[in-house]
Amino acid sequence: MDNDRWLWALGQEMARHQLTPDAVRHVVAEAAAHLRDSGQPALRAFGTPEGYAAAVAESLAARYGRPARPAPGRVRLSARGITKRYRRRTILRSVDLTVRAGEVAAVVGANGAGKSTFLRICAGLLAPDAGEVTLDGRLGYCPQDAGTYDFLLPDEQFVLIGAGRGLDRERSKQIGRAGAAALQWRPAAGVQTRHLSGGTRQKLNLVMASMGEPDVLLLDEPYQGFDRGTYLDFWQHVWRWRDEGRAVVVVTHLLSQLDQVDQVLDLTPATEGAAA
Amino acid sequence: MDQERRGQWLRGVLDVCVLALLGRRESYGYELAQALDEAGFGQIQGGTLYPVLLRLQRTGLITAEWREGASGPARKYYRLTEAGVEALQRLSADWSVFAGHVDAVIRR
Amino acid sequence: MKILTVAEMAVREMLRRRAVLALLLAMPLAFYLVRRGDHVGQSIRFLLLGIAWAVSTASLFASGSSRPVEPRLRLSGYASHHLYLGRLAAMWLLGLVVAAPFFALVAIDHGDQVRIGAVALAMVFSVTVAAPFGLLIGALVPRELEGTLVLLVVVGLQMMIDPADSITRVTPFWSSREIGTYAVDHTGGEYLTRGLVHGLVFTILATALVALLSTARLRVRLRAATSA
Repeated sequence: MDNDRWLWALGQEMARHQLTPDAVRHVVAEAAAHLRDSGQPALRAFGTPEGYAAAVAESLAARYGRPARPAPGRVRLSARGITKRYRRRTILRSVDLTVRAGEVAAVVGANGAGKSTFLRICAGLLAPDAGEVTLDGRLGYCPQDAGTYDFLLPDEQFVLIGAGRGLDRERSKQIGRAGAAALQWRPAAGVQTRHLSGGTRQKLNLVMASMGEPDVLLLDEPYQGFDRGTYLDFWQHVWRWRDEGRAVVVVTHLLSQLDQVDQVLDLTPATEGAAA
Repeated sequence: MDQERRGQWLRGVLDVCVLALLGRRESYGYELAQALDEAGFGQIQGGTLYPVLLRLQRTGLITAEWREGASGPARKYYRLTEAGVEALQRLSADWSVFAGHVDAVIRR
Repeated sequence: MKILTVAEMAVREMLRRRAVLALLLAMPLAFYLVRRGDHVGQSIRFLLLGIAWAVSTASLFASGSSRPVEPRLRLSGYASHHLYLGRLAAMWLLGLVVAAPFFALVAIDHGDQVRIGAVALAMVFSVTVAAPFGLLIGALVPRELEGTLVLLVVVGLQMMIDPADSITRVTPFWSSREIGTYAVDHTGGEYLTRGLVHGLVFTILATALVALLSTARLRVRLRAATSA
């Protein structure tokens, strides 16, 4: 990796650590000056961009880190005693979840544990056999598979969702494109959704869910097909939404981020664990 | 010297050394690295040095300013704040006491 | 406004399906040409049926491609009537555009032998009825293949059934047949009247059923928090 590419990667990584653009610019410029003066290759002087960005973020932690986030607010989503049966099999047994404004909840569990079912119930799309979901505010829902029109352009899907939210055409496109750019995606003109890669389609899906400033975001494994960088970007969005005071529920089977979320709902049935 | 040991010791005193160097005159990162090298510490990598500078800046012991040098492009110059001057006095006194203890134990 | 956006996107989506569009035009044309050798009335009746089949199939497909997206649209600020009315409007528009060249064809081919205004009316009615009928089949039969087969059966029945049999009156496209007969065979006004009534009643009925099914399917089962 030459020094310019290293510096570029450093900037990207620091942005992922939620450092301010100003801080990023200063650190990158200083590293560039050092490399120029010393004539060293960047990897030798600073190590990997990821490692150095993490060290910088830690050094600046007090100013930019999480402690600044506001305390959780009022209850946005409350699911009480949710039970769901399919035929005679009980998928969900009296599940509770309360998410406040400014909180992130992760829903985990084995395949078939009912994660998506639970999310659909939270969204009000599916009736539980018992229990009740109470919602306070506007909902944004990102389904696991598609939820997009194959033959429409991304811009058209932005307009469609935007119109539902009461936004005009131009504003919808603006918001959609800005959301796409934040996920390192620039929709090419004239490319229909069916020609997008799986990961890009998921980005579209996610952008559509977050349009219109929802108070509660329900995200059903929205990062499938993302590369590592975009995956990290996705979590940065989650933290940003949280810091903006939204309630976020993420269905996930990847455990790497669980230490940072506010609560984890494990839907793996206890009996299944005992039987295994 | 064993590299790992050197690294461990350095981590403990690098900030004090940086404060001391900046106590003599304001300087920028690469110049500080060179000064530390000349003082016998060997080469200090940027990845080690700059996080220390950022932390000192964050805690208010040093301030920084981007400036064109006498020759060459802009560099970020650091200098001690008043709090930094006080901290340097206190830390160098602490170090003398600490090094004295270590010496006393080893030499006995 | 929301209905218009839904309609616009449905039209855009359909226009990009080149193969579907080609079939949409080819089907009625084939029906017409096959019978062109015999009686004028027969070829026009088949043409009307072909248009009805094409439009209802297109509606069925539109309904199928929307099914996975509709829940999210419903949660993004659309009411279910925005969705089905928008789609219905799109299908009507598309159907009229498809019917227009066939009307021109009939006008050129047999313009002097038929009541040409009534032919236009029959075409309008075959589109009017077919669009909600296709949406209805789409709502009742979730899979497109099965839906297509249902439409095939309906159209096949309509073709083969004895016109004198009273059961024809419950077939969906009877209205355009009656108006068509009025146009082609220069029959009395009662054909026109009962065709119009049948078409309107059927359209309203099918639309009402689509509305019912769609509202039930897209019901949002959430309790809104009473804000303090």
